[in-house]
Order: sequence, then structure tokens, then C-alpha cells
Amino acid sequence: MKGLATIYRRELAGLFVAPLAWILLSISYAMTGWLFVTILKDTGGDIIASVRFSSGESLPYWAFMIFLPPLLTMRMISEESRNGLLEFLLTSPVSDGAVVLGKFLAAWTFMALFWSSNLIYAAALHGLGAPPDWPPVLGGFLGAVLVSGLFCSIGMLSSSLTSTPILAAFGAFIGNVLVLLLPHLAGLFDATWLHEEVESVDVMSHFHRTFLVGLLDTKVLVFFSAWTGFFLFMASRAVEAKRWR
Amino acid sequence: MISASHLSRRFGPLVAIDDLSFEIEAGEVVGFLGPNGAGKTTTLRILAGFLPASAGSASVAGYDVLRQSMEVRKHIGYLAETVPLYREHRIEEMLDFQGRLHGLSRKERKLRIPKVLDRVGVLDRRRQLVGHLSRGLRQRVGLATALLPDPEVLILDEPTSGLDPLQRIEVRRLIQDLAGQHTVIVSSHILPEIEAVCPRVLILSKGRLAADGSQEELVRTLGGASHVRLEVAGHAAISGPGIEGVSARLRELPGVSEVEEHSLDDGYTAFEVSCEVDLRREVGELSNHEGWTVRELSWRKATLEELFARIALELDSEPVETGA
Repeated sequence: MKGLATIYRRELAGLFVAPLAWILLSISYAMTGWLFVTILKDTGGDIIASVRFSSGESLPYWAFMIFLPPLLTMRMISEESRNGLLEFLLTSPVSDGAVVLGKFLAAWTFMALFWSSNLIYAAALHGLGAPPDWPPVLGGFLGAVLVSGLFCSIGMLSSSLTSTPILAAFGAFIGNVLVLLLPHLAGLFDATWLHEEVESVDVMSHFHRTFLVGLLDTKVLVFFSAWTGFFLFMASRAVEAKRWR
Repeated sequence: MISASHLSRRFGPLVAIDDLSFEIEAGEVVGFLGPNGAGKTTTLRILAGFLPASAGSASVAGYDVLRQSMEVRKHIGYLAETVPLYREHRIEEMLDFQGRLHGLSRKERKLRIPKVLDRVGVLDRRRQLVGHLSRGLRQRVGLATALLPDPEVLILDEPTSGLDPLQRIEVRRLIQDLAGQHTVIVSSHILPEIEAVCPRVLILSKGRLAADGSQEELVRTLGGASHVRLEVAGHAAISGPGIEGVSARLRELPGVSEVEEHSLDDGYTAFEVSCEVDLRREVGELSNHEGWTVRELSWRKATLEELFARIALELDSEPVETGA
């Protein structure tokens, strides 16, 4: 896809030029470290429990998961649509898909870096002679990256639907909450078929049943890839639709 | 090089351009002139492959703008009115990004970036952040960005908008320099900009092509306002025929199409003798012969400005082509 790498590089550089990226990364490393040490103390040195808590079983973890992708993606298309940069990109010899995918990959890379703190702390423990249970650690990281990817793609779609960044962030945030709360919302209705259908798209259960126990299930990988791809496709169509409005 | 055939574009109920057709040859510098909302930007956006037309077709460099949009984009340099640039980039980084988007190799970028920056006069500022540049400098960087891929066609939407007079002159000079090397389309609602740089003018009004031709041809064909102005001492001083009589004598001169008279406050009467060629000598001889006391005898050639104002205000003229 021509121009994809160029757009990816620019967007990633654009993220790191702003101090926000560095502040968020610092917060991530500080939070994960604090959670890890706190649980380690509380459990009397249970490394596995500490790693699990800091990578998927704590409220701050999911708060970051829900809030960060919208903040990262909110300006990527909406603001550029408003200030004319999208017009600049879309009159360059690159496809709409390359524009959307390049920007998405930059946000996704940032999220991967954001969640990498767990890997670093686990590696530090390993180096200090207390090796953690690596499959759940790696699974937790992979799961975090995949869920972030899904949420970033929702953010890209939201950003492509409005030219107001804050509205894009709000839309993406609502989307993320709905994705996570889908099973609870389905539980409000007394319909078995609905519960079964919703269970198949339950992000949280996929995450807990596979990644956090160190399992790599291709079905789950396909699940996340398919939904991420779907939202990116929709975002790409929404960008194309801007030409017709 | 550029061809538009029956182009129309609607935005809901609003018709932005309506049945627009024109041809532009390679190497031409053409001005799109029209009041705000005439459809200039919409037309340029269609040619740049950003907007699809609701009806009709257009091609640039031999490629259809809708079906072969990617090819079209490889052959154009487009500068939108808003001069979209990444504020956080340094000037040379912005150009490097543009070079990469157009698939220029590292060697080509290294060679071309200083060249275009020098051409627009910002080479010494290449390390400056775009966000810190004045409007004029941003415009120049925008031009450099459009020029970098060495496009066959340059599409510049209001390139002098928001610039001070000195900066306008600089940008005009730059566009004049580009003539011959590129096919250039410049849009503006400011007539002197177009007059200064574009030998050929397309005047748009309410989304329709109101006139198309070289400035001279348009003025000659549509002008009608060229006239000899004669100011003669007032009513009492005109012996014999009176004001109506003077008008009648003037109308008898060969080449005169119309004579209008206006009484001036200071007792003089002004006659505007419409004619396509300068008839000052003939009018002067007639005045001498008739013994009129003449205060002023001058030739006023119709200007593009008058033509533009007429089209913009009357909005009733049929499309005119002068065969350019």
C-alpha cells in the first residue's frame, strides 16, 4: 500500500513531538510499577498475581484501555479534516486506506509501547533471579495490544465521522464502553439466543479466558483482527464519503 | 492537458458548479476568476481528484480524474486555499514528507528540496518550524510543497489570499516564473492577481462559465465600455445644436456605437462616446470644427475589471468563448 509507511512514520513522529505522549508513557510506567509493587507486598511476594493484576485485572488498567485510544485517535482525521491537511493527503498519490491504516498503526504502536512496561518489569524480575510465569505475562501484553488495536480502530472510525476532535473522543469512548459492557447490557434481556450471540463477541471474556492464562487461541486472534479490520474499513469508507458530502 | 466536459457538482440542494466545460493546453497559465461562491474552489478540487463531480467528466494529463485519480494525483501539485502544512514540522521535514508521499527517492529528495526552497526564497529558513512562520512564508512553503514533485500541472487556489502587497508581488513573480515549465491554474477573486499573471482568464459566476479567453480578447469582445470622454463647456456655451445636437453629431462619426451625456455640476457636460477604437482625433477635429469649448478629451479603454464587475453583478451573460 503506497504511502502507508510514510504516513505511519509521520504520525508516530507527530505523537512523540507532543509532550502528551511522553507524559502518558511516564504515567503508564509509574502506574504499572506502583500496582505491581503494591500487589507484590499485599500478596506476600506472589509475582504471578502481581503481573496479572497490573495487566488486565485492575480498574486503572481498563480505565487506560478505554480512555487512551480515543485521546490518541481523536485528532487524527477529524482535525485534519478541519484544517485542510486531509485534503492535502487525499490529493497526494496515496489511497484513503493507506491514510487511515497509517494513522491507526501509529496509534497502535504507541499503545503497544504504553503496555510494554509490564514486559520490562517482568524482565527486570527475571534478571533479579525471580523469573515470572512468562506465558501469562506475554499473553497479557499481546491481549492488551489486541484490545488496544480494536479500540484504536473504533477511535479512527469516530474521528472520521466528525470534524470536532472532542466529539470524536467522546464517540470513541462511548463505543469502547459499549463493547466492554455488551454482555451486561444483553443480561438485561431474558433471551438465551442473545446471551449466546453476545458471548461470542465478549472482549473481556476472550481476554480473561485466553491471554491472561497464557493461551494463544487463533480463534480469538481472528476475532480481534476481524473486528479491528471491520472498524478500519468503515473508517476508510467514512473518509471516502467526506469527498461526496 | 486539462479538459472538463459538462462538469456539475451539487452539495445537497446547492449547485456549486453547473455544466462547466473548458480545455487548457500544456504550458498555459490560466486564471479562474469569480466572486466568492462562484465555484472556483469546487472546480479545482474536482481537477485535483479530491471531490468527485456529480455529473460530467474531467481529465488531467490524459487521466480521468475520477477513474484514474491516483495517476492524476501523481501529475499535479495542488495548493489548497488553507495552505495545509504540519505545524510541528520543520520546513525541510514538510517537504521531505511530501517527497516520500510522491515516491521520490532519497537522492531525488536531497537534490530537489533545496532547489525548490531556493526557488520560493526560504532556503535559509529550512530548519524553521512551520508553526512559527508568517502567513506569507507559509504560502511560499505551500508553493514549494506543490512544486516539489515537479508536477506537469500546478493547481493554486487563491495563492495570494491573506498576503500583504509586497508578499503578493513576490508570489505573482513566482507564478510568472513557472509559466512555460508547468501548466498552471490560479484561482482568485482578486482581479489584479489574475490580470498580473494569467494571459488567459476563465470567469465563473454562480457556478457557470461566464467568459473564457485571453484578457485582450475578452475585453475586446465583451468590453463595450471603451469610450472617448469629452467634456464640453455647458449648455449655454454650446452654440447651435445644444446637448442633444452634440450627441447627434458625435453619433455620426464612423465607429461610434453609442453616446451618453451627463451634466456636470460646474456647468460642463460630459459625453461618453462608446467606440471600439480610439477616436480622440476624430472627436477633437469635430470639436474644433464646431467651435465647442473642450475641457477634456480622453480615451478610456475597457478593463477586465469592468467586465468582471459586469458579469459578477449582472450575472446574466451567456457563456462567452473567444477561441483561446
